[in-house]
Amino acid sequence: MSFPPKLAALVDLFSSLSEMERRETLIAYADQASSQEPRQGEVFDLEDIRKDEECTDTVAVFLRVEEGRCHFRITLGKQVQTLTRAMSAILCKGLDSLSPEEVLAIPNEIVKTIVGAELVRVRSQTVYYLLTRIKGIVRLWLKNHTPQTGK
Amino acid sequence: MSIDNNYARPDALVTTAWVAEHLKDQNLRIIESNEDILLYDTAHIPGAVHIDWQQDLQDQTIRDYIDTGAFAALCERNGIASDTTCVFYGDKSNWWACYALWVFRLFGHEKVKIMDGGRDKWIAEGRPLTREIPEYQPTSYPVPKLRRDEEIRAFYDQALAQSRHGAPLIDVRSPGEFKGLVTHMPEYPQEGVLRGGHIPGASSIPWKQAVNTDGTFKSASELRKIYQEDLHLNPDQDIIAYCRIGERSSHTWFVLKYLLGFEKVRNYDGSWTEWGNRVGAPIERSI
Repeated sequence: MSFPPKLAALVDLFSSLSEMERRETLIAYADQASSQEPRQGEVFDLEDIRKDEECTDTVAVFLRVEEGRCHFRITLGKQVQTLTRAMSAILCKGLDSLSPEEVLAIPNEIVKTIVGAELVRVRSQTVYYLLTRIKGIVRLWLKNHTPQTGK
Repeated sequence: MSIDNNYARPDALVTTAWVAEHLKDQNLRIIESNEDILLYDTAHIPGAVHIDWQQDLQDQTIRDYIDTGAFAALCERNGIASDTTCVFYGDKSNWWACYALWVFRLFGHEKVKIMDGGRDKWIAEGRPLTREIPEYQPTSYPVPKLRRDEEIRAFYDQALAQSRHGAPLIDVRSPGEFKGLVTHMPEYPQEGVLRGGHIPGASSIPWKQAVNTDGTFKSASELRKIYQEDLHLNPDQDIIAYCRIGERSSHTWFVLKYLLGFEKVRNYDGSWTEWGNRVGAPIERSI
């Protein structure tokens, strides 16, 4: 399957790595997660802020749609796991400027290609978490912006 | 900070300072166990090995723990002998450290300790970290004769009997989970349950009540007030603790067993992911 260019570049990068290199690259992306936080003065169409005290800490997803293209920002609590932090940096970059429909069409299996089968096997709940949240906010935006057809 | 000598087994806890002083001890192995699978790779205590609750301690096909042979092999490749003192620490206020310690006890490993305050306290104190993976000479670990499920582990039928007899069951999940308002996070399908609530007759004592804000365990007198004075538990009772998948209840199990000296406490690791999905399992809600 072909992916949009930014995402394809990331998929190609991760596909070429050994398991050890993949983990190191994920950690490097996790270290960049704070660069995806909202900038001062930015305005968003939707914000989805959730805190699960027991498992994930706070994960806030922000969506701005300009001229039909999505832009994401993500804020993460201090206790958020490394994989989730890595996926926030990867997905904010890889999904930037896609249309809402394109975001929803991204197969969940792309996560497996990026993080590798081994990490999916041992932490499947964590690795899919952020893509699910991103698709959720996009789905809500689409619902709010789809003309209602009355009978 | 020192360890409270009024705990039933003060030797089961060590401070971060103690660990820092014993990093090079020959017969000691520091073990990091986390919820965050990549956290050890980002940095860890020098010399610490990584044991993952899922990858290393669980059978990969059946929902159960590894067998005795696999446990011996795990110890051997991590340079752990049968008389090695294992000091566990990790993220989430030592949830998974307590879980790993509990599994080591299932296999009868005697010398086990928790580093009070876990990973966060070590880092907050500015203690050394490394990304270097240590290599230890493999040991020869005798295959345990049996896994001691009978002693410290509870199964569904035993939890049900406990419920029917009005014997102590401790639900250590958050109040929302106990009440049935929350089952699991929608994006965490692996921990999914079909029904919310708690085991009939269970008392709600969230695990968090046993720790201070820095993740260290509360003092013996504070713990006695919570579990003995307020909840009226006594050290001679058969007690079963449970949560969602058994890690938070391992934490409470450690508190009751080692810090308060409750000899007959067991951890129901099937926990709510088994109970809440089980056909016909009785459930109470308090919404």
